[in-house]
Amino acid sequence: MNTASLTSTSASDATSRAPRIAAYLLGALILGAVLAPALAPFAVDALDLANRRAAPSSLHWFGTDELGRDVMTRVLFGARVSLAIGLVSALVSAAIGAAVGATAGYGGRVVDDILMRITDAMLAIPRLPLLMITAAVLQPSVAVLVLLVGLAGWMETARVVRAEVLSLAARDFVAAARAMGASPLRVVLRHVLPGVVPAAAVATTLAVGRGILLESALSFFGVGVQPPSASWGNMLYQAQTTMTSEPWLAIFPGAMIFLTVLACNAVGDAIGAARG
Amino acid sequence: MIRFVVRRLLQSVPLLIVISLLIFTLIHAAPGGPLSTYLENPNVRPEDIERLRKAMGLDRPLGLQYLSWLAAFVRGDWGFSYADGRPVLDRLVERIPATLELIGVACVMALIAALPAGILAAVNRRFDRVSSVFAVAGISLPVFWFGLVLQLVFAGALGWLPSSGRASFDGGDLLDRLAHLILPATVLAAALSAAWSRYLRRAMRDTVARPFIRAARSRGLSERTLLLHHALPNALPTFVTVVLLDISMLASGAVVTESIFAWPGIGSLFTEALGKRDYAVLMAFLMCGSVAVMVLNLVADLAVHALDPRTREGA
Amino acid sequence: MKRLLIGSLPLALALTACGGGGSDTARAPKAAGDLLTIGYDREPDTMNRYATHILEDIESCVVEGLVVNDEKMNIIPVLALEVPTIANGGVTLQPDGGMDVTWKLRPGVKWHDGVPHTSADVKFTVDAINKGDWKPESVDGFDRIASVDTPDSLTAVVHYREVYAPYRLQFVRGTLPKHILDGKSIDAATDYNRKPLGTGPYRVVEWKTGEYILLEGVPNYWRGAEFPKIKRLLFKFLPNTTTRINQLKSGEVQLVALVPWDKVRELRGLPDVRLNQVVGNGYEHVTLNQKRFTPFADVVVRRAMAHAIDRDLIVNTLLDSLVTVVNGPIQPLSSAYEKNVTTYPYDPARARVLLDSAGWITGADGIRVKAGKRLAFTLITQSGFAIRENVSQTLQKQFRDVGIDASVRLIDGTSISSVWFKGDFDAMLHWWQQGADPEMTLFFASDRMPPAGRNINYFKDDSLTAMLYASDRTADDQQRITLLKAAQRRLAVLIPELPLYNTAKVDAVPARLTGFTGNPTNAGPFWNVYQWQLTAR
Repeated sequence: MNTASLTSTSASDATSRAPRIAAYLLGALILGAVLAPALAPFAVDALDLANRRAAPSSLHWFGTDELGRDVMTRVLFGARVSLAIGLVSALVSAAIGAAVGATAGYGGRVVDDILMRITDAMLAIPRLPLLMITAAVLQPSVAVLVLLVGLAGWMETARVVRAEVLSLAARDFVAAARAMGASPLRVVLRHVLPGVVPAAAVATTLAVGRGILLESALSFFGVGVQPPSASWGNMLYQAQTTMTSEPWLAIFPGAMIFLTVLACNAVGDAIGAARG
Repeated sequence: MIRFVVRRLLQSVPLLIVISLLIFTLIHAAPGGPLSTYLENPNVRPEDIERLRKAMGLDRPLGLQYLSWLAAFVRGDWGFSYADGRPVLDRLVERIPATLELIGVACVMALIAALPAGILAAVNRRFDRVSSVFAVAGISLPVFWFGLVLQLVFAGALGWLPSSGRASFDGGDLLDRLAHLILPATVLAAALSAAWSRYLRRAMRDTVARPFIRAARSRGLSERTLLLHHALPNALPTFVTVVLLDISMLASGAVVTESIFAWPGIGSLFTEALGKRDYAVLMAFLMCGSVAVMVLNLVADLAVHALDPRTREGA
Repeated sequence: MKRLLIGSLPLALALTACGGGGSDTARAPKAAGDLLTIGYDREPDTMNRYATHILEDIESCVVEGLVVNDEKMNIIPVLALEVPTIANGGVTLQPDGGMDVTWKLRPGVKWHDGVPHTSADVKFTVDAINKGDWKPESVDGFDRIASVDTPDSLTAVVHYREVYAPYRLQFVRGTLPKHILDGKSIDAATDYNRKPLGTGPYRVVEWKTGEYILLEGVPNYWRGAEFPKIKRLLFKFLPNTTTRINQLKSGEVQLVALVPWDKVRELRGLPDVRLNQVVGNGYEHVTLNQKRFTPFADVVVRRAMAHAIDRDLIVNTLLDSLVTVVNGPIQPLSSAYEKNVTTYPYDPARARVLLDSAGWITGADGIRVKAGKRLAFTLITQSGFAIRENVSQTLQKQFRDVGIDASVRLIDGTSISSVWFKGDFDAMLHWWQQGADPEMTLFFASDRMPPAGRNINYFKDDSLTAMLYASDRTADDQQRITLLKAAQRRLAVLIPELPLYNTAKVDAVPARLTGFTGNPTNAGPFWNVYQWQLTAR
C-alpha cells in the first residue's frame, strides 16, 4: 500500500531528495565519528591555557574552550559518544519494544496481560529520576549509558506496537488470512508486523533524539558522560553560562544534535512512507 | 469494563511492591547517604556522624529498614524527611499544586499547537515541510539549553518576563502567576507539541490510506469532512495513547524544567532529595510517581477502548 | 511548534503591556532601601542553627551568637559583653585539669517576644545538646562540658572537664530560648525550627517551601531603633547556578553570596552590581592517600609532584587571579599563620631528577615504573564544579609531563563525601573550608584517620601529632600559636598533601549597598547585616 498516492500529498514525497540528503548526512556524521582520531585537527586532550576561549579562526575552525582545547576536535570525538548513545540505544529500545509489543498484541489475553503489566511497571517508575539514581549508583561509562538509555526507552515502542497490532489484528485482511488457516507466526510476520513498521519507525527515530537529549539531561545533573570525555550533551552543558560571551561553545554541539535528530527523522519518515 | 478496571487495580498491588523493593535497593546502592552533606563541615566530627547515624536509624540492617518502611507505608505512615525532619507527606503535598499547574498549562498549550499542526501536516505538503523543521527543533533542543536561552532573551535582554520562580513574593495575582508560567510552560510544551504533532501526522496519514477512506472519497465526500469526520476519529486512539503516556511521564514533575526555572514542584523536590539522599522523600516520590503513571496508563487503555470500537472485543 | 511560538508571543506581549504585573515589582522594589532580594543557592533544612547542616546565613540574621567573627577573622562579642580570655580573667584553669569559662552576657537584650535573654538560656542550650534526645549537627566541645553555673541572670560559668582551646566559638550559634523549648522535643518543635525565636535584627515572616524565606526587621533591636537599616530581606531559593546568575543579571535578585569563580568574569561590568571579594579561610589542595596508593608514602615522590605543578599558571589562567598560591593549611588571615615554610616552586626538571633518584624510571609509554608498578593513579574531584573539572585536567597534563599518569574521575557532590570518608580513592582535588579557629589535629594527627577523623592522606608523623595535641591542650594563646607554627613548618617539609591556592569568597552585591564586608569563614557575609544600608541611586 502506498500511503502517499492516496492523499493529497504528491507521490514524490518518499522519493524526493530530502531523505536521501538526510541519509548521506547521517552517514557522514557516523563516518566522522568513526574516523575522529584521523580527522581531528588536534589531539583530543591537547590543552593550551594561553589560548583559552579563542573565537573560531582558520587554525581552530570551531574555536577553543575553557582549557584551550580545539572545539572541532571535541565535537568529532563527542560524536562517537552521542551517536552511540542515540543510535544504539534507540535500536536496543526498538528491538525490545517491537518484540514485546507484537507478542503482547497477538499472543492472547494472558500473554498480553503479563507483558503489559511488566511494561507498565517499567513505565511506571519515573524515567529521568530512575536514570539519575541508576547513574549515581553505577558512575557509568559510555557503554553503560547506552544500555541504560536503551533499557529505559523500550516501553513506549512496545505500547505503540501493541496498540497497532491489536488494531490490525481486528482488520478484515488479517481475519481473512487467519480464516485461510495461516499460522499465527506467519500472520504476525507477513500481515501484522509490516503494518506496524511506520509507527515503530517514527517511535524509533524519535528515540534517537530522545537518547541524545537524555544523556544531556543526565550531564545537566552531573551524572552523564564525564569530562574529560566529550559528548555533545556535556559540551552544551558546559557552555551554558557562556552563551552570550562565547557562543561558539554552545552553537556547534547544539547544531550537531539538531542535524542528527533532523536527519534521523527524515530517514525514519522515508522508511515509514516507503514500507507503509 | 468495571471488571477490567478492578482486575488492573488488583494486578498493580504486587507490581507496586516489586517496584518499591527495586527502588529501595537502588537508592541505597547509590554512594553516600543522608549524612553525606554533614561531612562537608569540618566541625562535624566522626563521633557526630556515628551519633546521627544511630539517631536516624541508619545503622540497622537494610532489610530491616525496608520492611519497617513497607510496614509503615501500607499503613499510610510515610515517615519523616531525613533532611528537615518534617513529615514526608507534608513535603510532597505542598509541592503538588505547583507541578499540576505547570504540567496542565504546558499540556494545554501543546495540544493547541499539536492538533492543528498534525492534521494540517498530514495533508499539506508545504506545511508539512515547514512544521517538520519546527517539530525537529522542538524535539532536538535540550530542555535545559532551551530554557536558559528563553531566560536570557525574555528575562535578560528584553526584560519582559520574570526568569524563574512561581510568583513574585508580594505579587501573586493572576497576571503575575501567568507571567511566571509562560517560560517554563513553553519549554515543556515545545517538546511535547513537537512529538505529538508528528505522531498525529503519522496516524492521520495511515488512516487516510485505509480502504474505508478511499471508499468515502469515491462517494464524493469533501476532503474536510473526510479528514475531520472519518480520518481523525480513527487516528485518535494511537494519538491519545501517546499523549497520555507523555503526560504520565510528567506526572512525577518536569525535573529539568523545574530545576532551571526554580519551580517549586515535586520535580525540584526530587532533585533536592536525591542530592541529600533523603531516602524517605525519595521513596515517597518514586512510589507516588509510579502510582500516577499506572493510573494514567489505565486511563489511556480505557480511552483507547472508548475511542476505537474495533479493539473492544480484542482485549 | 510553529503554532506554539506564534501563539505564545502575543500572549507575552499582552501580559507585558497590561501592567507588567509581577516582573516590574520583582525588578524595582517600591522604595529604595526597603527590600533586599537575595538569590540563595539552597533551601535550609531547618532554621535551628544547631541542627542545620548547611551554612547559617539566613539563621544568623535572626539568631545571634554570643560572639561572631568579623571580616578579619577577629572573634568579637555580640550577645556576650566580652570574649573571655585568661588575660581578662574570663578563663581559669583548674587543678584537676579542667577549665572554667565565664561568659558575661550583654544586659538589656530581649528575645523577640520580649522575654529577657539570660544565662539560663546558655545553661539550657548546653543541657539540651548534651541530653542527646534530638539531632544537633555537632556536639563538638559541648561533650566536654561538665556543667554550667548561673550565679546571676547575666553570668554563665561553663565548666569544661579538660582544656578546650577553641572555647571562644562554643556559642557562635547562639542560645536556645529556654522559655519556648524547655520540656519539648526539639526535633519536633516545628514552630521553632521553621520560625526560630532570636534576638537578632530580623525575624522570619514567611517561609514558602521551595520558593523563599522573607525576613522583616524587628522594631526594638537591642543595638538601637535605627537598626536594621534595610526593612526586609527576601531569600529566594535558586539552586541552579545559571538561573541564579541570570536573575542577578536581570535584576530580579540583587545579591548573590559566594559566586562560583568561573561565573565572576561575566558579572564584571554589570552596572548595578559590585563584586565584593575577601580571601576565604580555606585552601584547595590535592590529597594523597598513602594507604590506597603506596608510592605516595615516599616523601621524595610527593616533593617531585609538588614541583611538577605550575600553580601560578593555574591561578592566573583558570582562576582569573581571583586566588593566590598557598603553601599550607593555615591561611595568612589566621594569627597562627606561619609564613616561613619550605616551598616547592614549579620545576619539572627538578621533579624528574627527584623521581629518578627515588627509583621511578621512565617506561616505554612515558610513564614511570618502579618494581613493576606504574606511577599511575586516579585523581577524583567533584563533578559539576567547573573550575575543579578544569584544574584537574590541567594537573593531569602537568603530571604527565614528568612521567606520572593521573586519570581524572568526576564524582557527584553527595557521593564524593562518602568516597573520601571511606578512604576509597588514590588522590583527590578538594578544599577544606575552616572556621576562625586554627585547629588542624583532625586533619593531620596520626590517630585521626577515618573514621576517627579527617586525616585522609593517611599520613603518620609522630612528632607532628605530638605538636598538634599539645596545641589543643593549652589555653595560652601564644603557646598555642608557637606550636601550630612549628607544625606548619614540619608539614611543609613532609608535604603529605599538595597545597594549591586559597579560596576566594566573592559576593555580588548591589552597587548601592553600604556596610557589606563579606566574611572569610562560614560565619558568612550576613554577620553584620544590621549595618547594611541601601543608599539612594
